[in-house]
Amino acid sequence: MSMLRSSLLRRGEPAWQRRLPVGLAALAALLLLYHLFGQSLGEFPVAWNLQLREPLDAFKKWLVGSRSMNPLFLYGFDPLSGGVEWVIRRAEEFLLWLPWPTVGSVLFWVGLRVGGVQLGLLAIGCLGFMGGVGLWDASMQTLALMVASVSIALLVGIPLGIWSAHSDRGEAALRPLLDGMQTLPAFVYLIPVVLFFGIGRVPAVIAAVIYAIPPAVRLTSLGLRQVSEEVVEAGRAFGSTPRQLLYKVEIPQALPSILAGVNQTIMMALSIVVIAALVGAGGLGTVVLKSLRQLKVGEALEGGLAIVALAILLDRLTAAVRRGDEAGRGAAAVRRGWVPEGAVKRLMFGWRALPSSVRRHGWLWGGLLWGSAVSALCWALGWVDFPKEWNLSLAGPVDAAVRWAQLHLYRIGESGFGTGPVSDFMSLYILAPLRQLFAELLPWPALVLLAAAAGAAVGGGWLGLASGSSLLLLGALGMWQGAIDTFTQVVVAVLHVSVIGIPLGIWAARSPWVDRLLRPLLDLLQTIPTFVYLVPVIMLFNLGRVPGVIASVLYALPPLIRLTRLGIRQVDETAVEAATAFGSTPHQLLTKVQLPLALPQILLGVNQAIMMVLSMVVVAGMVGAQGLGLEVVDGMQNNRMGQSVEAGLAIVVLAVLLDRLTQALARR
Amino acid sequence: MLRSLRIVVWVVGLLFVAGCAGSLPAAVEGGGDEKPLIRLIANTWPASELNVNVAAILLRDQLGYPVEIIDLDEQAQWDALAAGDADASLEVWPSGHGERMAQYIDEQKVVENGGELGVVGKIAWYTPQYVVDTNPALASWEGLAAAEAAGQFVTAETGEKGTFFAGPLGWTQYDQQIIDNLGLNFQVINTASEEALLAQMDSKYQRQEPVLFYFYTPHAVFTRYDLAEVTLPTCTQEEHAAKVADGAVDCAYPDDRLIKIFNPKLQQSAPDAYALLKKFNYTTDDQIEMLGMLDQGMAVAEAAQAWVDAHSDVWQSWLAE
Repeated sequence: MSMLRSSLLRRGEPAWQRRLPVGLAALAALLLLYHLFGQSLGEFPVAWNLQLREPLDAFKKWLVGSRSMNPLFLYGFDPLSGGVEWVIRRAEEFLLWLPWPTVGSVLFWVGLRVGGVQLGLLAIGCLGFMGGVGLWDASMQTLALMVASVSIALLVGIPLGIWSAHSDRGEAALRPLLDGMQTLPAFVYLIPVVLFFGIGRVPAVIAAVIYAIPPAVRLTSLGLRQVSEEVVEAGRAFGSTPRQLLYKVEIPQALPSILAGVNQTIMMALSIVVIAALVGAGGLGTVVLKSLRQLKVGEALEGGLAIVALAILLDRLTAAVRRGDEAGRGAAAVRRGWVPEGAVKRLMFGWRALPSSVRRHGWLWGGLLWGSAVSALCWALGWVDFPKEWNLSLAGPVDAAVRWAQLHLYRIGESGFGTGPVSDFMSLYILAPLRQLFAELLPWPALVLLAAAAGAAVGGGWLGLASGSSLLLLGALGMWQGAIDTFTQVVVAVLHVSVIGIPLGIWAARSPWVDRLLRPLLDLLQTIPTFVYLVPVIMLFNLGRVPGVIASVLYALPPLIRLTRLGIRQVDETAVEAATAFGSTPHQLLTKVQLPLALPQILLGVNQAIMMVLSMVVVAGMVGAQGLGLEVVDGMQNNRMGQSVEAGLAIVVLAVLLDRLTQALARR
Repeated sequence: MLRSLRIVVWVVGLLFVAGCAGSLPAAVEGGGDEKPLIRLIANTWPASELNVNVAAILLRDQLGYPVEIIDLDEQAQWDALAAGDADASLEVWPSGHGERMAQYIDEQKVVENGGELGVVGKIAWYTPQYVVDTNPALASWEGLAAAEAAGQFVTAETGEKGTFFAGPLGWTQYDQQIIDNLGLNFQVINTASEEALLAQMDSKYQRQEPVLFYFYTPHAVFTRYDLAEVTLPTCTQEEHAAKVADGAVDCAYPDDRLIKIFNPKLQQSAPDAYALLKKFNYTTDDQIEMLGMLDQGMAVAEAAQAWVDAHSDVWQSWLAE
């Protein structure tokens, strides 16, 4: 139906708009012919460069020289970051000062409260894992850092979201800013953040906040905008002030969406943990970096999995808050016989004798009392540090597995197949020709026109204009070559993600056990720090463009698989039944009914995959891929901040361009 | 729903306040100390951590300073020292920090050159021992120049040329120049990080395939891999400098004399700590001794303590007035 309608609508467009893409593409073809047989069109003109690099480097130099005397720093940034650093350090010390069973039992209590016994046990399991791999202290440091980052991100993000929900102008102003914050690689702003906020926890918090604010703003705004007009009108009719309307009507209505934003914010903040270690924040990131430096893949994986455990813990807790309906949860636990009715209350204190304020927050006070009791007991028994004997070292087996893979998967027997040949094939027959096509065969003006044609074809004249100009902007940033390299790698990675992800998503939608098998794997891939795969992918796929592609594919698979599965599952039952009644085979059902109807969701998944691949560009640069990622790293290593910033902006431009194009395609 | 959220916020908030209160006595104790906190920077490689741990033990036990060790990226450390956020980093490889040394130390004088560490670094070309065992000629550049030699080192990225795996872009490297000027049929592939270079080397090493790469001593990997240095033509420090200026390098890398860098205010704020760090100087063998202990499973702090216990003759002179 919707496809029919859109094609009807397109027929209503002015004729020139339908012919625009064809015209632009024809012009590009003419340019190509001229370039090949006439005069070469050459490189992107240097004269059009925006010249950002020198002023940025000069600014950095000035800042380095004057920082220790500048009053803005002496009385502004330094005390500010000193204060925040102090608070986070005290929180770290407090968490480490508490006996480990206290942390466990308090989180068990919170889990019990928001999601029932299973969640409580999960919380204990996650903490037990962190302690078991010998990373209790580092985990508590990271936990403190995350709590601080997420609190600040929410304190800033939710009000911004409220503002952007109530003001269209606000939303329009915030949107490009949020896009930039989400797609600019953290490596680009790390050094500037250190210049302003010093080293330690504070720059890490700032980097995490920059990266984690966008979902908080977006989902708050989305939730508030989805509150139905009628409810708001009703509130107004009863004489609510705007303030009352916001707190009593809108926010409670939008709460699920806001809480989804909180959950996303936590996940985003966690993805900064390893980078935070570069600026002296300590914690689990340091463990990962140090182990990688010595190629200790197993130890790095332990650190990475401790981050995953932290992510699971925080994700499940916030997700439970989002879903629950606390009474229902508690009741469910009672029904299942996990918790005898009222037993906790009756056992712990003479419930009715307590003042009403305590009774209202019974779980809170109970938790504190419970925590204090456990602490007292543990101090008395001397159980403060996580016992070293409870060691579930994974490093040995993991290292052995990596060694085995290196020896046996690189070239499997005499078959001529394995990661080595696959890598060579991808490099020689996919990446190299594609790069040649974009970088050598097609002259740059033809690419600009082709981008404009693609934009015009999927989203009309304005999108065409924007796409063409984005390419010009990439050139003007001095990053034409890097952008072309990165673009080819993105194309190859996204093709692989699609070829692997869409079938897996379909399979998961049709087979519950595949779904159950995939789900934890996808969770793992999405939360494990990407740095952890750096070393193993090089070991298996050799240095160069291929390991970057492989790492990006691993990282970008989960959203596409999830959205494909969701899209197929959401296909209307009646449509499926009708098709079955008309005698469709399962194959016909899939290709004629389910896939076409799920297409918008799948395209959204592809869009997400592109964004994820682009967020891996710097990591790809670290494993030897040419392109924008390498430019960022090179600038950082050689004291050329301007170069990093230019490359970072180019990544943002590329990301926004591809995002708008695929979103327009998904809407069609 | 709001209520349970509020409760979570409450618990977290209370924990925070309690945290601040709980550790207040410790903070006050620390603040009441006479001597200022010395903040030493450790970079992510073991030798850097070892130096800093030795210095920390001496500053604490001999001079009574409180010491904090900060794990920090080697690029970010320059800004930290310039801003006074940290006090000293003890192992800087001049070959990897040329631009920053010129700007921060010489031009702007916001970081102080703390003198040599005493350890001498040496950049060279390496290949695994098994490569040299099968073809002893490959232990020198003449062997690599032979017609069929480069073919063994080919990878998909370099086509018919042999692949030379170079170091991260930030490090000083003349490999392509050396290759061109010596007429070798190799192409340089740059790596973006030391981890990447080592991972590539390890991968080839495990499969016993030929590999030629840029590396340096002293480094902890030499205890784990049997590597052979490929000899290049030699030249003096002056000759090398002249060739660099002409872009015509065709000989081995000069020695890298590692240095220490300080926050320039350290001398005023903690004169005796400054004096100790300034005199801190030991040999490559001292470092290798500790690296060996790490290899036997000792923790960094334990290895540093063991060295301090065994070598008071060396560090006593750092304390002398």
